[in-house]
Amino acid sequence: MNTLLVTKTRFATTQSVSTKFAGLFTLATLILVFSSGVALAATKENVPRLANGKPDFSGIWEATSAIDFDLEPHSNRKDAPPGAGVVEGGTIPYLPSALEQKKKNFENRNTDDPTLKGYTPGVPRSVYYPEPFQIFQREKDLFLVHQFGHSVRTIYTNNTDHPKDPNDWWLGDSRGKWDGDTLVVDVKNFNDRTWFDKAGNYHSDALHVVEKWKFLDSNTIEYKATIEDVNVFSRPWNISVILHRHREPNFQLIEDYRFTLEYDEFYPPKPPKQ
Amino acid sequence: MKTKIFHRNIGLTGLITLVLGFAVLPAAAQTTQTPAATPAATPAPAQGGGIANEKKFSPIASGKWTGPRTADGQPNISGHWSNTIGNHNNFTDPQGGIPNDPNPRRADQGPRESRAPSRVSDPADGQLPFQPWALAKVKEFQVGFHNPVKPEYIEPLARCAPGGIPKSFYWHGYEISQYPGYVLFQFNSGTRIIHLDKKPHLAANIKLWNGDSRGHWEGNTLVVDVTNHNGKALFGRTGEFLSENAKIQERYIFNNEGTRYNYVAVFEDPSVYTRPFTVTIPARKYSEKDQTNGWHFEAEPATHSGKDIKLDRYERICAENNGGFGLGAK
Repeated sequence: MNTLLVTKTRFATTQSVSTKFAGLFTLATLILVFSSGVALAATKENVPRLANGKPDFSGIWEATSAIDFDLEPHSNRKDAPPGAGVVEGGTIPYLPSALEQKKKNFENRNTDDPTLKGYTPGVPRSVYYPEPFQIFQREKDLFLVHQFGHSVRTIYTNNTDHPKDPNDWWLGDSRGKWDGDTLVVDVKNFNDRTWFDKAGNYHSDALHVVEKWKFLDSNTIEYKATIEDVNVFSRPWNISVILHRHREPNFQLIEDYRFTLEYDEFYPPKPPKQ
Repeated sequence: MKTKIFHRNIGLTGLITLVLGFAVLPAAAQTTQTPAATPAATPAPAQGGGIANEKKFSPIASGKWTGPRTADGQPNISGHWSNTIGNHNNFTDPQGGIPNDPNPRRADQGPRESRAPSRVSDPADGQLPFQPWALAKVKEFQVGFHNPVKPEYIEPLARCAPGGIPKSFYWHGYEISQYPGYVLFQFNSGTRIIHLDKKPHLAANIKLWNGDSRGHWEGNTLVVDVTNHNGKALFGRTGEFLSENAKIQERYIFNNEGTRYNYVAVFEDPSVYTRPFTVTIPARKYSEKDQTNGWHFEAEPATHSGKDIKLDRYERICAENNGGFGLGAK
C-alpha cells in the first residue's frame, strides 16, 4: 500500500511540476503573441471569413469618387477635381506612339469615354468607377455585380486556368488564387474597347492585369493591380486604391441600364387619351 | 482578337441559328411524346434550337423541402436552369412560332392541342385578359414586328435591354446561386438579386426592367414579391406587356430531387388587364452530366488539370453588338 501511495505522490508531484512549466510556457507564448499581435491587428482583426477560412469579400463596395477622373496626378480642370493620382511612381509609362493616342483620347474625353454610353468600364476601371458593386462569394467563385454597366464579372477560385481558346471579353477572364489572406487574380483575354479613366488612359486587347484584393479591416479592402500591355506601355505599372463597404441602412444595388433611356418612350404601349 | 456573338439580339448568326432550329424542331416535336412526369433525356446539343423539347409538364405541389440545404438553411437549388417548353416567340402558344411570320415553318404544326399548353394557366382558356385597347396594341405589334417601321415595333431585348419578367425565364438558360440573405439569378440578359434580408422595397417612383424583389422560403417554394416594375419589357415576340402599375407575386416551386421547378406567378395590373392572371413556366436543371450547349446550358468546361468537369460561365454583355432584330432598324 505504501509503495503505491508513494508512487501516487511521486506521480502527483511530477505532474504538478510539469503543469507549472506548461503554465509558464503558455504565459510566455501569450506575451509573445500579444506583443507581435499589435502589428497583426490591422490585418487580422475581424476579417469576415467563409466556412473554408478564406476571407469573405461579400458586400457592397465602392472607391472614393475622384480616382476615375484621372489615375495620374493632375490639377483641377473644369471637368474634374484635382487628384494626387494612384499610379505608383506618378505617371503611366506609355510607348511614344501610344502616348499620342492617349493625348487624343484626353482631348475627346467628353465624347469618346466609353462609359458615357453606359457601357461596362472593364478591368480594373469597374473596381474604382464611382458606382457601387456587390460581391457574391462562394468557395469556387466570386461574382462581382456592378450597378453601372449592367455587368457581372466572375472570378474563379476553383483551380481552373484561362480558357485555351479564349474570346476577347469586356471584363477579361479572371482566375483567382489565395496567397494567405490575399486574393490574387490573373485577368486577360480582354477586348480593346474600354478605358482606364475619364482622362483617356487606355489599353489594347493585349492587356494583362494582376489584382491583389486584401482586407485592411472588415470594412475596407486594399486593391492593388499591376497593369501590363506590350502594345501600349514600356513596362508594367501599378495602381493602389481603397474600397469602402457601404453600411448605410437599407443600401442596395439599383439596376442601371442607362443606354436604354434613349428609346424609353416607346415602351410600354400607352392607352388612348381620354 | 476573337469575339463571341451572343444571341441576345439576333444578328446574322442568330438568324441562321433560328432557321436551322426551325428546320429541325417540328420533326422532333412530332415524335417526342414525353410523358408528363418524366424528365426529358438530355436535349441534343443545340444550334440554338431544342428549347421546345417538351410538350407537357407536371404540377409540383407546394410542401416541405426534404432535399439538401445551403449552410444558411435555404433549400439548395443552386445551378444552371432553363425552361422546357418553348422560347419567347409566342407567349400563349410556346411552340406555335411567331404570329404572322412571313417565313413560317414549312412543316405543319398540327393542332393546338399537340403543342405545349399556354403559359397562362389562369384564366383557363390560356388567354390574357386584356382590356380592349391593350389587345389592339398587342395585335398591332404582332403585325409591325415583321416590318418595324416604328420604334415601338422593335422588341426591347433586341436593343440589349434586359428580358425582364417573365421573359427571362424562357429566353436562354440562367444560373441561380445562393448566399446568406440572397438568391441571385443571372439571366442571359439581366441580373436579379432576390433579397431575403427583409429590407424594405425601393421608393415607388424608381422603376426597373427587372423590378425590385423581396423573397422568402416557404418549404420547397421561393416566394418573391416584385414591385417597381417599369413595364417596358415585352413577354415575347407576341408583344404582351405590363404597365408600371403591375404587381407580381412569384412562387418558384421546386421538387425535392432538385431537378425541376415550376414558376407560378400572379400578375395584377388593372391598367392593362380586366383581372389578375397566372403565368406558369416549367424549368429543369442542368448539371455537369449534361452537355453544355450555349443556349439552355450556357457554360463551357473549364481548363484544369483534374478529370472532373468544372464549368465556366459566359460573359453576358450585350451592348457591343447592339443591332436590333429589325435587321438594323434604329
